Amino acid sequence: MSTIIDLVGSIIFGGALLLIVINANEMASENQSVYNGDMLVQEMLVQTAHLVEGEFRNMGVGIPEGTRTILAADTSDVTFLYDADRNGVVDTVRYVAGLRSEMTSSPNALDRPLYRRLNHESLQTVGVVTVFRLKYLRRSGEEIAPPVALADLSEIFSIEITMEVQNPFTVLRSAGTQAGQREELYSSSLWQQTRLASQNFRR
Amino acid sequence: MVSNHTILTIAAFIILTTILQNFYRLLGATGDDIGDAQDMILATTISTSYLELAQGLAFDAVTDTSNAALANMSALTAPLALGPEDASEDSIQNFNDFDDFNGLTVSKQATGSNHVFRTHFTVSYVDPAHMDQSVSYRTFVKRIDLTVWRTFPPIHGTVTDTLRTSVVLGYFHFD
Repeated sequence: MSTIIDLVGSIIFGGALLLIVINANEMASENQSVYNGDMLVQEMLVQTAHLVEGEFRNMGVGIPEGTRTILAADTSDVTFLYDADRNGVVDTVRYVAGLRSEMTSSPNALDRPLYRRLNHESLQTVGVVTVFRLKYLRRSGEEIAPPVALADLSEIFSIEITMEVQNPFTVLRSAGTQAGQREELYSSSLWQQTRLASQNFRR
Repeated sequence: MVSNHTILTIAAFIILTTILQNFYRLLGATGDDIGDAQDMILATTISTSYLELAQGLAFDAVTDTSNAALANMSALTAPLALGPEDASEDSIQNFNDFDDFNGLTVSKQATGSNHVFRTHFTVSYVDPAHMDQSVSYRTFVKRIDLTVWRTFPPIHGTVTDTLRTSVVLGYFHFD
């Protein structure tokens, strides 16, 4: 009798043990994929931000005093001047966020390409973002409404760059949700930085 | 005999529970690390934004109000007087020179999240030959040190990640 009780007890405990291990294993693999997605998104954001801020911080370098640095300024489109290759010739650089319809290959409906154009070359994709928003500020901190009028371009003292990158693949999708519907949950990472429109304003 | 088996089973379960607890703690810690990495990205953006603003200011109050090149070092702000010159310089927008940041502590909520970061600024003169050393006399080089840390949500545990950044600004003048 005691052997039977032992056997039944072992089966119950063994079954419980098996369930716990399976559950833990499932949770570990789910978390692993979420964390990997988060890490990937952070790396993508930092890479894109590294490039963008590298150029934005050089805005106005090599430009003669009194010359306007920013040629055009809109919510997600900016054109500015700086001597990109330090050869004494001023270059025109444009950063613009493309349309969502240009990223139909991405499962994330909010993804849009971020383009860079140097002088008259064709647009080059330098990243994929979900938000690329530029805010233009006067020295007093007052915002200049985009698109900035030609007369106000020289008033731009600093630019606030807000950039968000999301994982193209969803982290969580409830049953019945179709790809691209916003009920899905995506890993995302945000970057917001204020940059001077031109260095060496005052010494 | 049965009681021996029961005791053994209970002991095995205690061991299993301990292992599982550690396992879930590890999973949670990994999640916290990923969250902390995002916090540090936000802290970096906040610190570089402030540094950018600081670098756009005059080297000293005296160089802000004069277009002539400054050769006399003793005209610079005294080391113990680094900071805002008067009550009108009560916010970053009203600062006019690099050392106005000295002693300032500000809090800022990061966009897109409810996380609040506090930043503390210290400005000092440094020896041009040893930028890492603050000195108690005037030089033509100043260093701003920033520390940024998250204040909300409150940090759990005893370890607070603090981002420390320093930038050196030297005085120069175009004739």
